[in-house]
This record gives sequence, structure tokens and C-alpha cells, in this order.
Amino acid sequence: MRVVAMIMAGGEGTRLSVLSEKRAKPSVPFAGKFRIIDFTLSNCVNSGIFDVAVLTQYRPHSLNDHIAIGKPWDLDRARGGVQLLQPYQGRNDESWYRGTSDAIYQNLNFIRERRADLVLILSGDHIYKMDYGAIVATHLRNQSDLTVGVMPVPLDETDRFGIMTTDESNRIVEFTEKPKGRDKGNLASMGIYVFTADALIARLSEGSDDKPRIDFGKNVIPAMVAEDRVFAHHFSGYWVDVGTIQSYWETSMQLLDPSLDFDLFDKEWVIRTRSEERPPVKVGPQARVSQSIVCNGCSIRGTVERSVLSPGVYVSPGAIVRDSVVMNDTWIGPGAVLDRVIVDKQVVVGAGARLGFGDDLTVPNVREPDKLNTGISVIGKSAHIPSGISIGRNVVINADRDTEDFPGGDVASGETI
Amino acid sequence: MLRTLALILAGGDSPALSTLTAERTEAAVPFGGKFKIVDFTLSNCVNSGIYNVGVLTQYRPRSLHVHLGVGRPWDLDRAQGGLRLLHPSPTPDGGGWQHGTADAVRYNRDFVEEHAVDAVLLLAGDHIYKMDYTPLLELHQERGADVTMAVHSVSPHDVRRYGIVSVGSDGRVDRFIEKPRRSTSSLASMGIYVFRKQYLLDLLAKNDDADFGRHILPKIVGKANTYAYNFQGYWADVGTVQAFYEANMALLAETPALDLYDPEWVIHTTSADRPGVQVGSGARVENSLLSDGCQVHGSVVRSVLSPGVYVSPGAVVRDSVIFGDAWIGPDAVIERCIVDEDVKIGAGALLGDGEDNTPNHGAPDRLNTGLTLVGIHAQIPDGAHIGRNVAIRPRTTESAFGKGNCVKSGSTV
Repeated sequence: MRVVAMIMAGGEGTRLSVLSEKRAKPSVPFAGKFRIIDFTLSNCVNSGIFDVAVLTQYRPHSLNDHIAIGKPWDLDRARGGVQLLQPYQGRNDESWYRGTSDAIYQNLNFIRERRADLVLILSGDHIYKMDYGAIVATHLRNQSDLTVGVMPVPLDETDRFGIMTTDESNRIVEFTEKPKGRDKGNLASMGIYVFTADALIARLSEGSDDKPRIDFGKNVIPAMVAEDRVFAHHFSGYWVDVGTIQSYWETSMQLLDPSLDFDLFDKEWVIRTRSEERPPVKVGPQARVSQSIVCNGCSIRGTVERSVLSPGVYVSPGAIVRDSVVMNDTWIGPGAVLDRVIVDKQVVVGAGARLGFGDDLTVPNVREPDKLNTGISVIGKSAHIPSGISIGRNVVINADRDTEDFPGGDVASGETI
Repeated sequence: MLRTLALILAGGDSPALSTLTAERTEAAVPFGGKFKIVDFTLSNCVNSGIYNVGVLTQYRPRSLHVHLGVGRPWDLDRAQGGLRLLHPSPTPDGGGWQHGTADAVRYNRDFVEEHAVDAVLLLAGDHIYKMDYTPLLELHQERGADVTMAVHSVSPHDVRRYGIVSVGSDGRVDRFIEKPRRSTSSLASMGIYVFRKQYLLDLLAKNDDADFGRHILPKIVGKANTYAYNFQGYWADVGTVQAFYEANMALLAETPALDLYDPEWVIHTTSADRPGVQVGSGARVENSLLSDGCQVHGSVVRSVLSPGVYVSPGAVVRDSVIFGDAWIGPDAVIERCIVDEDVKIGAGALLGDGEDNTPNHGAPDRLNTGLTLVGIHAQIPDGAHIGRNVAIRPRTTESAFGKGNCVKSGSTV
């Protein structure tokens, strides 16, 4: 049984605001030293799948750098291994990937060349640990054409997901994308699909203008539910879609909770990543660190509480980092205070600056009120925050901003710079 | 620059490091958290542009071999040159072991011969330093030297540990005395020699002296064209337990003499797949180095932790060096100890306990500064009391401690 995995990593990820402005969502740093896609890639190799394609489109540079030849995942292989699939020009046609299933359709030759029996379609922006062997087994047992990974979600959140209705044999009888009503049950699609390769090729090849085959959720799965054998596979572990600022921050904070059912230290299921060459964390004599993740290359001389620090972060004496996520090589000046902020890479926070300042967390961001409304401020890559200024809640500072972009000094809650 | 082949001599036993080298060669002993001692020399090679490196092994090389692999972290996995591990193999009469540094190089004559290089750079695998070898090689070339040795000044009471050289005003070496009891010069040979390739091959063919420092150099100084290169940077020979401990502790200084964070001179090593350090809500960390994969729920003060160390709630680690994946039980107290890999320390155990500073009975000249050593894979029972200058042998099990679990200062288990 030959299984190839195809990881969808091309979407724009607008809901992650400035974090995914310069990089695809799967390459956003997470849990300190990891990238979001590491979890899916590690699941593949830990499940014994060494034939992996990563489909990229939006801002792939950072992701390409990260995956490269796949060495950290042992995917640099003579046969199989990882392949990055970008949109390409053909002689008769050319197009960007117009949706998830269109991206697969444009790469059917990859499936044929790898002589796949089963195709595992995965999403590159979920945090979870899953043995794909189990869903493959379900697929074979049911002699399915398609098996969809599902898990229960709270009933009042079903309008964010594709909801499956199953019969007693777990066969999917109805699929509703983001239902407004609450009568479809609460089994949500995790965006994890196992296709029998022949069925996938047949279904994607029959696309036409009146029968579009652009998106799995919108076109392909509803069509297959009607005509093919489609079954559900139940997953019951920790699984989150970190596709929004809110869920990204919440999930990061959850990692600091020892009772969370998601162990990064699990030796039986190692999450692999490209480890940077950094010396150990240095904690200074006056430093205070509690309930945090700090990575190699960090120097901590101030206070860090309930925060996640990626490699190479420098926290100066007197600085306080609280309830925050700080990415690689950011420099936090003396006496600066960070509270509920997500700081991208290589940011410089000037001495005495206050980020996430003020008690009112409820003033939403003016430009993105639906994304930033719980008090989290976001600082883009390589921004330089001037010394001594205060930045309020729900603020977005775009990448590369520098002193001249802060003419008035302080930034009120809800602003975007 | 001279075409150069570097040979790292990593085969010798280092009995002075006690249990730390009981199951591994000194080059493979962890240092500074995530590094191994050999990383410094290897990184110096590649940072100096030398991509042709042989590592000579003999004593307990397995851990070193695993660490080096194909040399990938140092970009030494190359089609041409790269890393070669050179290990002795037996002769038909059962011989074949190497009896010193010169003997080891002589054994690998063929390897040296087949390299189209001008110079052979001999290095020790057990020193901690950052050194660009380029100026040394340039000096060697400029002077047309047969041998150029790197020297470093040491404190006068330390001369007995080193080969001491006297250098004339032109940089020529006049005298070389191995481990003198007293000396007017305090310039120590660092064990770093550049040889003209052909000169080295002829020299080794001519005699069967076993060791460069003890036999060959004292003889050839004065006859051959021998120069000294004075190296001024940080350099530590960590060949004793106390020196090893001090070099680790020196990394905790505000601005350590050895800067591990220098982006211009990265110390490369094999980075294990480990998540970031997890610091719990009840933890206290002060003035320490923690490596990825550590989980700290207790107290860590002035200590160096290698990857994967687990410190349970209530445990205290003070002034200690803890190697990878050690597990420290709840309420255990560890003071001035060097704890090796995969050690398990039971709940409430006290290590390095009390004021009694009796030197170790088995090795009074090596273990006498109050440091207690716990060997690899050892298991310390719950509630044990272990004094100072104690050596716990590798793989000691709980049953070896007997009733009371009390180990007096100066004992060996």
C-alpha cells in the first residue's frame, strides 16, 4: 500500500494579520523553536509516510527555506522524500492554484509518478499529533473512496467548520460547509482526507465550468458524498487550527499549562524541526523566569512570565515579558514592558517602551475589528519600537516600521501603524 | 593559504577526569550545556576554512563516533575531504594499539601521504578555545618553518602540567621541556603543531618515538626550523575535574571570556530534536545555562544544564553541572556536583552534602576540591546522603548503596 501525503500550504492566511504578511501561515513560528507545519510533517514521518508533497503558493520563500531538502524529517531520500510543488506554467494553460482541489488537480502527475494507491491530503496549519496509520486503516476497512478525519466541536462553533452527518456505520450521508443552522450535528472535518488515488484522479478530472472541482470542501466532497463511498474517521486528541491571532495566542498559552494533553517532550512522537545552531539559554543573576518556554540562544536578564520565547530573544535587565509570544532574535530593551503581545522576529523594542499598555482590552482594532478584539497587540517583523513610548491594546504594528512611523509617540488602543 | 590537513588527536585516556571519562573519550565529554569538548576544535577548523579533518580515536570512541557521524553539523560531510574517523585495527600478532600522539600519527602515515597538502595541523581534541588557525599557518609559511607550535602563557604554578617553551626574539623556539617542575618561562605549548608535511613524514619514518610532547619535540627543537605562535585568546585545558568544572562555571559570568553567542564564530554541534526549555510556574532559575529540552520545576542556581534535564518540584540544583537527560527527583538537593547523562536522582536525596571535605580516598590528588561526581546511568536512591569528593561509578544501581543510603565524603561507590 503506497501512501503519499500532500500538505496544503499555499493559502494566504489573512486572519493571522502581520504574522503571515511576509510568510505563508504554515511557516509561522510556534511553540518557540517550531514552525506550524512541523507538526504535520512530523506526523507524516512518525506515521511512516516518507512520500510527501508540500503545495505552496502564497509567499513560499520562508517555507522553502525551512523545508529545503527535508533533512530534519529524514525526508532527504533517494526515493520518495519531500517535494515542494509550486504553481507552474504549461504550454496550453497556466494558472495559479485556485483552491485546494485545484492545486491537487494541477499536480496529478505527482500522484501518478509516485504510483500512489492512497492519497492523504493534509493541512499545513494545524497543531496536533496523529498517527495517520489509523485513518488509513479505517479507509481500507470500509473500502472507502474517501475517508474524512472528524472530531466533535462545540455546537455553537459549528458555523466555522465543514460539518459531517453520518449514519450508524460512520458513512457520511451529508456534508454542510459552515452551516448556519445547528441541526447538522457537531462532527467537524479536520481537513484531513484519505482518497483512493483512482477515485481522486477520476473526480478531479471530471471538473468543468458547470461542475467545478476547485475546492475540497465546496465542490469535491459534496459530490463524492452523493455518489461514492465516503466514511468518517473519528479522532479524539488535541487538535487546533491556529489560523487566527486569537487561537494562535490561546494555543501558545495553553502549552504552558502542564495539564494540557499535548506533550512536546513525548519521546515516542518527536516533533522535528530545523534546529538553529544556538548556544543554551542564559539566565542572568537578576532574572526571573516562570511558567514559560524559552529556547536556545535566548539571554534573559529581566522577567519572563507565562510567555513563549523563540531562539535568540534578548530580554534586558528590568524588562518584563508577560503573557506574550516573542519570536526569534527580538531584542527587548531595559525596562520595557510587554503584556499580551505577539512580537514577530527581529523586532527591536526600545528601552522603557510599553507594549500592550492600558487596562481596557475591549477597544477593537479599527481596521480589523473581527480579528483583534481581545486585547492582543501584534508587532510585525523587524519593526523598531522607539524608546519610552506606550502602545495600547489590539494594536497592529506592521513589519519594518521605524521611529519615523511613530510621529506622535504613543499609539492608542485599536490603532494600526 | 597553505593547503592543510588537520588531525585531531582524540584517542588518549584521561584518567584525571575520573568517572566523566569512564565510558567515553575526553573529546566526547559534554561541555557548556549542549556542546561536546571536541566541538570547539572542530568548529575552529571549519571556521578557519579547513575542511580536511581526520579524527584519531582509540580510547572508548563510541560516543565520539555517534556525535561526529558524517560530520554534518560542521559541513564536513563532503565529497572531497571532509571528516574521516581513524581508528586503530589489530595487526596479525594482536598488536596495533597506539602508544602516544606521534605513534598515532605514524600509524596513519598513509592517510597523511595521500593528501595533497602542504601542512599538517595537529590538534588536541580536549581543549576549550576559539582560535583562527589562519595566522598560525601564515606564520608557518612566512618563516618557511618545519614546525610551528602555538603557545599560550600559563600561570607559573601550572607549568608542571604543560610542555614549556622558551622563545627567542625572532620567534624561534630555543627550548622545549615537557612538564618541568620549575621553569623561567611560562609559555606553554598548546598541543597545536603545524608540520611541513614532508618533514613530518620523514621524522616519523626516522624514529619510533611514541609522543610528540614527551619525546619528539624536545629533541628536534634547536635542530629543526621551529617557531612559536603566541595565542592570546581564551584557552582552557579541561583535563582535570576542577578545571572542567571551572571552565563550565566561567560561562555564567556576565561577559564570559569564552563568548558562545558570537555569530562570527559559531560553535557547531549536533543539535538534538528537542523543544524549548519549559520553566514551570513554581520554578526559580538564576544565573544558569539551560539547554533545549530541559524541564525545570524546581530551583536552579549557578548551574549548567545539558539538554533534557528534568528538575522536579522542590528540587534544588546549585553550583553544579548536569549532563543530558538526568532526572532529579522532588526535593533532592544537589550542590557542587557533576552529574553525568541519564542519571536518576531519587526524591529527597542530598548530594554534595555537609562540610566534610575529605579528599577522595581512591584518587586524593584528583578529587579534593569538594566536587562530587555521579557517573553515567547511575541511580541514586530516594533520601540518600552523599558527601563531597565522592565518585559514584557509572551504572551504579540503588542496591549498591546499602542500608541507610549514606555515603561519606571521600568515598567511591
